Amino acid sequence: MSVKILYLYPDFMNLYGDNGNVRILEKRIKDQGLDVEIINRTITDFEINFNVDFVYMGSGYESNRNMVADHIYRYKTALIRAIIDGVPMLFTGNSYDLLGKGITTADGKFIEGLGIFNYSFKEQLDKRYTGDVVLEELATHERMVGFVNRAGIPDCEEDLCCKAIKVIGNVPIKKDAARIHNFFGVSLIGPVLLKNPKLADSYVELICERKGVEYKKISYPRSEKSHEKTLKALMETDA
Amino acid sequence: MKPRVFTAILVCKAVRGLAKLFGRGSSLPGKYALKICPDILSHLELPELSIAVTGSNGKTSTVEMIAHVLQSNGMKVAYNKEGSNQIEGVVTFLIGDANMKGKVKSEVVLLEADERYARHTFKYFHPKYFVITNLYRDQMTRNGHPEWIKSIIGQAIHDDMTLIINADDPLVSSLANNREGTIRYGAGILPGDSLRYDGIYNDGKYCPICKKPMKYEYYHYNHIGKYKCLSCGFARGTLDHSLSSTKDVNGKCFVTIDDNYEIPVFFSGIYHSYNILAAFTASVALGIEPAKVADALSGYVLKSGRISDFTLGRTEGRLLLSKHENSISYDRSIDVVVNDKRKKSVMIIVDAISRKYYTSDSSWLWDINFEKFKDAGIDKIILVGQYCDDLAIRFDLAGIDQDKVYSFENVQAAADYCKSLESFLYVITCFSDKEKILSAVTRRELA
Repeated sequence: MSVKILYLYPDFMNLYGDNGNVRILEKRIKDQGLDVEIINRTITDFEINFNVDFVYMGSGYESNRNMVADHIYRYKTALIRAIIDGVPMLFTGNSYDLLGKGITTADGKFIEGLGIFNYSFKEQLDKRYTGDVVLEELATHERMVGFVNRAGIPDCEEDLCCKAIKVIGNVPIKKDAARIHNFFGVSLIGPVLLKNPKLADSYVELICERKGVEYKKISYPRSEKSHEKTLKALMETDA
Repeated sequence: MKPRVFTAILVCKAVRGLAKLFGRGSSLPGKYALKICPDILSHLELPELSIAVTGSNGKTSTVEMIAHVLQSNGMKVAYNKEGSNQIEGVVTFLIGDANMKGKVKSEVVLLEADERYARHTFKYFHPKYFVITNLYRDQMTRNGHPEWIKSIIGQAIHDDMTLIINADDPLVSSLANNREGTIRYGAGILPGDSLRYDGIYNDGKYCPICKKPMKYEYYHYNHIGKYKCLSCGFARGTLDHSLSSTKDVNGKCFVTIDDNYEIPVFFSGIYHSYNILAAFTASVALGIEPAKVADALSGYVLKSGRISDFTLGRTEGRLLLSKHENSISYDRSIDVVVNDKRKKSVMIIVDAISRKYYTSDSSWLWDINFEKFKDAGIDKIILVGQYCDDLAIRFDLAGIDQDKVYSFENVQAAADYCKSLESFLYVITCFSDKEKILSAVTRRELA
């Protein structure tokens, strides 16, 4: 049985080693005894089929993300349909901005978002918001570690589901990340699934469940160690 | 002269004198001067010739070589030797070279400029020439990303400056698009060139001006090569100075510039060759005859060299100093290892990501083409440091035979393990971690 991973804009939205998430997930799904098919879709494609088993998008230059915003807007209905159908999705870095009301760019232009969440991001070019963060999901108290590297901050925290319990660097946010059905979006950049093995587990479990195959619990000690070490280091380091 | 300018100069010189007495070079004196007089730089009288060098990689080496060429040709040069390249460091070395009236005594001011801070420094004075070496994914935990750095460098460029650019880097080149008087350097077809892109990500795939696909005639490495945008016509353009060839014959290395100047060098790696070319181009722009520039560069060995040879127990090895958070620098070191036909092992140390700040971000490991080790006949791969788990996961997904991979959290334990390898040992790591291994080995003179 083949699991289809839709990797959105791998050429424009892969700025911080984000491709690692797809590779980590692919490996874990194969460890479950399933085959994986990765479908890359980008700006030049006229058709995107969201009827898949997992959807991923990473982070990119603001200019690239703006182009992507225009392109993905055409597929708004199909994307929302897939979210309602419970397709597991992970959007990391500044790609999760696209699911809000919109983005005000550094030159004052407003780019309309997909309108699924009620936040909108305001960007500037003078400085970067960068730093290590520990996020804690309000509903589950599950902790995530990672790095934020972005140009914008959200204007409204209502739909954000994680509290930033530690920030080392210049990231003026108190809350981050949004979740609806099986969609999860978070500002963290890069291979988020490496340092947050529970998040990876939860996707693999969901994918198996939706495929109707039994999920085998497999432990990934290196990934767990990396999470624990990073969490400990971040909690102990002075902000 | 305004009293606060005088006070700033006096304090800067006094603090610098004291710091020297205690054997410390730092940018503290400049910091005090800036506190007293924030626009101190605009009150200094600079010589007619001034040149700044910025870019992701190669700044320190290029500045060091330009200084060497100018000094060998009898010119007096003021430059930031210590590489303290933010505004405080620039103030420190300029006042250090100035008299009490604020007149800089040297004939040429040469400065390494941090790519994020040049826009602040150049508010107060404009160097006549501004060299931009390259723009890579580099220290993105502080630098955001290359396109952002490009926009920040753009704020440092003023109409009265002449740009000297590496035309083979499209992002750098886009800073000089349609800018008259720009001096361009680049490389012709070289032995290591490739027709296909062989990196993990491709920052040269789309045009930096119009974002449409670009076509490369050839790649020197990563996105550095001869490119052209198929839509807007943006292209590398004509070169004023070019690297015609690089040669490595029985360990004797040469680079040839402008088909004419064959320069013996200690190392002909593409990285170093570009720095030599940048130094050549800049020195010629500053008025030194090309033949004399070539003479001065002949056989020059960098003080800030990136290679150290060592012995560890019965094992012979070489450290290839690379930069954490800079995948291209790692990619180049990987090429050195892969191209060595001996039986070899490789150790990678990621223990402290930076020596200047704390971060736990290891995402840059996923931009490095470790996949190249897969079929390179590597004996053992030793992954070391705080981030050995992150490295191990990366190497697993690179498809590398896990029986070859050993990981150690502790550098000394890794060094002990390597004392009797049956292969040559390459070590790839960064400034922040190099002493941890160098303190465990015996250094040898460069072969």
